[in-house]
Amino acid sequence: MPQNSQEILLMLPHVVIGVGIVISLLIEMYSKKSETILPWISLFVFVFAGVHSIINISANQILFGGMLEVGGKPAIFNFIFNIGAALLILNSIDYIKKYESNHGEYYILIQSAILGMMVMAGSKDIFMIFIGLELMSIAFYVLAGINKKKSSSNEAALKYFLLGAFATGFIVYGIALIYGVSSTTSVDSIIQNFSTFTQNILFIVGLLLFIIGFSFKIAAFPFHMWVPDVYQGSATTVTGLMSTTGKTAAFSVLLIILSASLINYNIDIFAPYFAVIATLSMLYGSIVAIAQKNLKRMLAYSSISHAGYMAIGLAAANSEAFSGIIFYLAAYTFMNIGAFGIISIIEKQNDANTDLTAYAGLASKSPILAAFMSLFMFALAGIPPLAGFFGKYYVFISAIEADLTWLAVVGVFSSVISVYFYLRLVVYMYFKESEKDIDLHIDKYSLLSVVVSGILVIYFGISPDSLLNLILSVVN
Amino acid sequence: MLFFVLLGFITAVLVPLIKKISDNFLSWIIPIIPASIFFYFASFYYQIADGEVIKVSYSWIPSLGINFDFYIDGLSLVFAMIISLVGTVVYLYAGSYLKGDTRLSKFYIYISIFMSSMIGVVTSDNLMTLFIFWELTSISSYLLIGFNHEKESSRYSALQALLVTGLGGLALLAGFILLYITTGTWDISEINKMPAEVIGSSYFFLIVIFILLGTFTKSAQFPFHFWLPNAMEAPTPVSAYLHSATMVKAGIYLMARLNPAFGNSILWNDLLLVFGTATMLFAAVLSFKQTDLKKLLAYSTLSVLGTLTMLIGIGSDLAIKAFIIYLIAHSLYKGTLFLVAGIIDHETGTRNIEKLSGLRKLMPITMIIAVAASLSKMGIIPLVGFVGKETVYASVLELPIFGNYLIVITILANMFVVYITAMVGFRPFFGKLKSTPKNPHEAPFRMWSGPMFLALSGLVLGIFSSLFLNKLINSSELGIISERLNIPVKLWHGFNLELLLSTITVLLGLFLYFKREYFLKFVASFSSVKFVQPSYYYQFIFDGTLSLAKYITSKIQNGYLRFYILVILLTTFSLIAYTLHTFYSFNEINIGGSVSVYEVILAFILIISTLLAVSAKSRLAAIVGLGGVGYVIALFFLIYSAPDLAMTQFSIETLTVILFVLVIYKLPKYLSFSSTTRRIRDIIVASFAGLTMFFLVLVISGTSLTSELKEYFIAESYPSGKGLNVVNVILVDFRALDTLGEITVLAVAAIGVYSLLKLRKKDN
Repeated sequence: MPQNSQEILLMLPHVVIGVGIVISLLIEMYSKKSETILPWISLFVFVFAGVHSIINISANQILFGGMLEVGGKPAIFNFIFNIGAALLILNSIDYIKKYESNHGEYYILIQSAILGMMVMAGSKDIFMIFIGLELMSIAFYVLAGINKKKSSSNEAALKYFLLGAFATGFIVYGIALIYGVSSTTSVDSIIQNFSTFTQNILFIVGLLLFIIGFSFKIAAFPFHMWVPDVYQGSATTVTGLMSTTGKTAAFSVLLIILSASLINYNIDIFAPYFAVIATLSMLYGSIVAIAQKNLKRMLAYSSISHAGYMAIGLAAANSEAFSGIIFYLAAYTFMNIGAFGIISIIEKQNDANTDLTAYAGLASKSPILAAFMSLFMFALAGIPPLAGFFGKYYVFISAIEADLTWLAVVGVFSSVISVYFYLRLVVYMYFKESEKDIDLHIDKYSLLSVVVSGILVIYFGISPDSLLNLILSVVN
Repeated sequence: MLFFVLLGFITAVLVPLIKKISDNFLSWIIPIIPASIFFYFASFYYQIADGEVIKVSYSWIPSLGINFDFYIDGLSLVFAMIISLVGTVVYLYAGSYLKGDTRLSKFYIYISIFMSSMIGVVTSDNLMTLFIFWELTSISSYLLIGFNHEKESSRYSALQALLVTGLGGLALLAGFILLYITTGTWDISEINKMPAEVIGSSYFFLIVIFILLGTFTKSAQFPFHFWLPNAMEAPTPVSAYLHSATMVKAGIYLMARLNPAFGNSILWNDLLLVFGTATMLFAAVLSFKQTDLKKLLAYSTLSVLGTLTMLIGIGSDLAIKAFIIYLIAHSLYKGTLFLVAGIIDHETGTRNIEKLSGLRKLMPITMIIAVAASLSKMGIIPLVGFVGKETVYASVLELPIFGNYLIVITILANMFVVYITAMVGFRPFFGKLKSTPKNPHEAPFRMWSGPMFLALSGLVLGIFSSLFLNKLINSSELGIISERLNIPVKLWHGFNLELLLSTITVLLGLFLYFKREYFLKFVASFSSVKFVQPSYYYQFIFDGTLSLAKYITSKIQNGYLRFYILVILLTTFSLIAYTLHTFYSFNEINIGGSVSVYEVILAFILIISTLLAVSAKSRLAAIVGLGGVGYVIALFFLIYSAPDLAMTQFSIETLTVILFVLVIYKLPKYLSFSSTTRRIRDIIVASFAGLTMFFLVLVISGTSLTSELKEYFIAESYPSGKGLNVVNVILVDFRALDTLGEITVLAVAAIGVYSLLKLRKKDN
């Protein structure tokens, strides 16, 4: 028993969020002021969990008989999830009030989703992965439809749920086959005996289904179908969470496949799969984004192409790719959260208008927002020396080292296309005049969230070493 | 060092603060910045001219080997001094050119960022930092070209320049990374020491192609030259600075800088020679029908950029000497001529050469500047342009085999340059005065002083070339070729072939100028064929991508859930089928075992229920069909001795059917079915998915899946669970929690049914 209580202390971030969920539920049930209390509780648990994880990054341990890993790699992921979520909570305070969906469940569901992600990132057992995944996904299905009065929000939730059910089905089937062959659910022992198991066709099919299921969650072509509709229909803050932390969580699982190939050098049966997925996602995302008139939809396609860039790393399957993907995810999370934060601010003032035209002349109305939005767009486009550039740089270099130069070339080509649509927003903000005269009110919490994201994007760009060294220290 | 390289960025931050005092104060004080950078670099002159090399390093991302390494040799110094000197002139000039414009401070912000990035490009010794500065020049030039953003054409040109140079920039990154993988270092000075490794590398071809894509797009070499004339939408100080003196030479700089590593390869030399020559000639010919002052200058710049590339391609000592002199000469006179064009535009309100004439009396100072710069450009003694052209000719003549052909092309191209110069430098000032949109006056001091200074420098450098240029070119480490040159620079070489050719060029150019009406008709018929213009292909690709994007959106992302599911199923099952096909031989399938009568009957019911569910004309019938499928599966569980699963399946199936009925009851009848073709498509996809699953199950049944659990349960059932019926023990002991879960799920589903029933009561 003392052993166990120690273990519980080690997973304090999980516990704090779990307790947070229960307390939030109680407050929501019995307090009339829950709207004002809950954001702060969520903020506290996220900041605590994020900071606690990153401080204890070196305390790498595997708990509960090989179920959950804390410290090390999961700590970095926990940092991304929690700080990302904290920033979005700051954005939500005003946003949720405005859309009258100011229910406690919003904050409770976000906490549950984040807990699910943390379980996914730390899991050492395939069933833990599944539990984490479902905790996250089900919370997201509900969150997508949180804006009950908007039909597009309902549509988004239903589509997300139905397509997500397919993904879940594939994953469960895959897990069944994997277990059938390996007769273990421990991730570590599966990785260790990877080369033996891959002799069996059923293991390969099982793994394939498992990977396909997660390809949904990272929004890779052709499993991206839900992304544009769901991103556009959901509340902007929810979209921000789904597109960043949700994707990061799915990648944290896919990295397991990567580490399997790292330990068994010659096993790269899935490299062709990832290479094709990467190519298609990058090109599809970038090309189709050009035609979008709605900013949220444009960012949805951009998110597809970013999934493609990261999938390059999965195809390359070397240690550079491993740290590269983690860096990319961190960079991507903060630049996207910043961008969605600004969208949520503008949307509130402008009758829920998220079209590009709503941004015309923003530079003269709010130079700060326009400057930060340009910063995020430049970072997403991968312009140095911002965080997005180094993300792309690491995965491209991993591809070249893995003799997949052509994949890096496709990536470069798609980056050029993407410059066009990211820049189009900048053109709207700086070079066009607004059609409507609206009074822009920026609430202080949203602004704080945008500024913090912006600082992180610049900081990771100017000093990528700070983050990279941290990643390298846990990867090796 | 770092401070002076980054000074422009610091300035960009400070500009809004200084602006608060007054715009006028800002425009007077700010030229101090480029001037101080100029003096800083000028202070290295004697050190460098004595053959020293300055290296400074600041660590940035040590784990990747990316650092701020600065390296100053003859080549960097020449570039840095040109950038800061022309910068000073342009800063001063813009203060007057944009006087009263509210965007003046914005201009200074953009151009300061640009200047610093440019200095960074030419002083970086690290490929990555060079690349980062390189991209920053693209971004800041985008902002500068699009400065007059209310004009559609301005935005279009800015975007075009950015897309073309951006594509090149990323190609350059790819080339740099390959170069890094080959040599294991980011240091340019280190890479230049190992030409054998670079040329012998298996990536060599790719490296050359990627790097040249970057430099050719940046320096507007054929076939990427089209963005430069369009970029003339920028305000004139920007054109003078970016599009003649600095940014377009970044590509040239990089080729010169990397020449020690690549110069010994035939591929590198030939590509530079061929594309350089093509640009030189093509641009010169295209310039002929232009009537816009700035576009004329843009084409002549293109021609010069081509010449410079060609000279690196030739790569002989003499060619490198010509390269440096020509580079300096061009920056001085072309910057001047652009600024003069700006003055004329500013004063008369037009840049159309047809409308300008006889300004000599109204603008005498401007005329003197223009004539001085033009003479230098034409290559008239004693200006520095003369020295430049002489050396170019000499280096071309020196070529063994095709030197004779190349000299003809060079003379031809230079003939057009002389023509352009006459059009820009002389035509507006002589002849009869024509009326213009504005009434012209002499330009204010700030506008003419800078160009005057540059024009004078051209004269001084020409007459005293042996004094100033000699030492730098003779004894400094130029870094373009590995040895020092040791060729003296002087103004007068005596009466020789080069002088004769120079004279012929000028005469031909003037002949062309006076007989232009006749030649214009000829050229017009030649270049109206759009297929020969690369900009046509740019537009084609640009428009094509846009319509492709719209087409894909409407076809694939059409919002229909059924289509999404179709794609997902098709992809997933194709992948499974492919995997089975590649890794499995179907001989291994083992269809052994006996089949009982029950199983046959059940299978029969299953098929009928499925067909019913698919073909039913009402929702209710379809649900009944689905329910049938579910029950049969439950029965299968029962037959294969899994009573717990069967029980759960039965109850879940019952509840779902009730739920479905309650919900669907309220929906309207089917209104229409999808078309026959769609249904056939769906049948094919569904059958494919079904067949794949069928085979997968066959494979599974043929494989013995080891499970340690079975033995464990059988062995432990009595000792641990005190029960002889293993299934019972599993249900209530080993998997008690599982069973609890199942019961809970059932309860939740039942609550759902109950609440739906309650809703119905209310409705009634």
